[in-house]
Amino acid sequence: MSDFFTSLGVYIPIIWMLVKILAVFVGVMSLSAVLTWAERKGAALIQDRIGPNRAKIIGNIRLFGIFHLMGDGFKLIFKEDLVPLHVTRGLFWIAPLLAFVPAMMGFAIVPFGQSFEWHGHVLHMSVIDPGNGMGMLYPMAIASLAVYGILTASWASNNKWSMLSGMRGTANMISYEISFSLAVIAIFLQMGAYDPHEIIAAQSSMWNVVRQPLGFLLFFVCAFAETNRLPFDFAEGESEIVAGFLTEFSGMKLGFLWLSEYVHMVTVSALMVTLYFGGWQIPFVANPGPLLSFIAFALKLLFFCWMFIWVRWTLPRFRYDQLMFIGWKILLPIGFANLLFYAWLINKGVV
Amino acid sequence: MGVVVKKVDLTWLDRTYLWPVAKGLFITLKHFLRQILTTTKKRQTVQYPEMKRPVSDGYRGLHELKRHEDNSIKCVACFMCAEACPARCITIDAEEFGDLNTLQGIAEKRPVLFQIDMLRCIFCGMCQEACPKDAIWLRKNYELSCKSRDEMQLGKFDLMNTYAEEDGSERVVPESMFKTSNNQLS
Repeated sequence: MSDFFTSLGVYIPIIWMLVKILAVFVGVMSLSAVLTWAERKGAALIQDRIGPNRAKIIGNIRLFGIFHLMGDGFKLIFKEDLVPLHVTRGLFWIAPLLAFVPAMMGFAIVPFGQSFEWHGHVLHMSVIDPGNGMGMLYPMAIASLAVYGILTASWASNNKWSMLSGMRGTANMISYEISFSLAVIAIFLQMGAYDPHEIIAAQSSMWNVVRQPLGFLLFFVCAFAETNRLPFDFAEGESEIVAGFLTEFSGMKLGFLWLSEYVHMVTVSALMVTLYFGGWQIPFVANPGPLLSFIAFALKLLFFCWMFIWVRWTLPRFRYDQLMFIGWKILLPIGFANLLFYAWLINKGVV
Repeated sequence: MGVVVKKVDLTWLDRTYLWPVAKGLFITLKHFLRQILTTTKKRQTVQYPEMKRPVSDGYRGLHELKRHEDNSIKCVACFMCAEACPARCITIDAEEFGDLNTLQGIAEKRPVLFQIDMLRCIFCGMCQEACPKDAIWLRKNYELSCKSRDEMQLGKFDLMNTYAEEDGSERVVPESMFKTSNNQLS
């Protein structure tokens, strides 16, 4: 058997790459599908309800209503794909993909386990190997693209409410992106690196959340705005502008727009884990190995995904002027102050 | 008329917004844990088809035509219920009934047709009040769905059997009625 693997030789990295791509794609997709169920169930439990529990397969197996997500999926796929007459056809078809693909792509850089050596090859547990020169700039750039999905969807709908939602969503994401980036730059400064593998390695003694608590808070708040989740879900805002950019969509187009929100949640949670919570590191364990490190990463990821749901069902939506006030007058100065403070500390040689 | 709005003085801790958010998160977590640790039976939500709320004593649900111990109908076709019915949903057709039945006393009439149009019935209970023989009861069944309008026209034997399963009594079918009383007047 081992001869067989050695004979594969140069093909091992290629095979490993294919395996990684498949695993990340399927993993993130299924995790975000499960998150739709977790959201419904979590919301119900927080509000003292029971939530979805009726869908059952094979006799009477219910498993706390997890089969509702299969039901939702089948419904969305087989539902009539209604395209209203007043929409801009081409953009209307592209918009769900424009929202979905950037959300998915961001995950590619995130290391979801410790790198290991196998038959003379160092195999990395992230789709994009380290040393690519992009590092954490890549997910930041990709995350900015997500705004095009919302903007395209709202523009293509030719609907006033959708248009408003697109404007609000864009303003929201662009204003918070600045503070988001400032928080990450402070990390780059202190770590002296922007490759996620190096950032994780540098956190082996102490997680960044301890080193930069204010930066984490900034990143955390902006993450909610970046993913268009409550309390910053201005693009959707169902009580004010129907369902915003989702209004005219139906069938699997709506499914993709919805799913992209959850994929975005997974990606941003993964970034949060990588930047502030030591990625795949386990406290007091030097080399956990690929399997244990993956489990540690997955647990941290799930916790932050749950955090998104938890916050959503705790806080009401801000008013639009409050959003702008917080973004520009509070978070941006804090971001600059945080950055300058760490720059000063590094200049003095304190950290 | 103006209303004086009381302004709440926020402490500096409340002004940070983060501390109140943390408190809020703690509250929702408390609700989450409490709900997840409560068993289904103790929850406020009634899981309907499996669990049912007990209905009140005065509840007026689906009708039942009461019967004597020998399963013959108590109704004497006096038309009081049909007269009392504000929705005019009871249709009765009487027949003479010659064979003296000890349980029925001297009754000589009974319905050959007793139909209630459940689509018109308003469940007011006037028929029950009007009945001199205590032969029609409105009981607790409220699950009256069906697939066609015709199924909502309940006849005499349907109405006699509405609670047969619940009470564990015998289902009355037209044939057995013919057997119990041999001397039928046509």
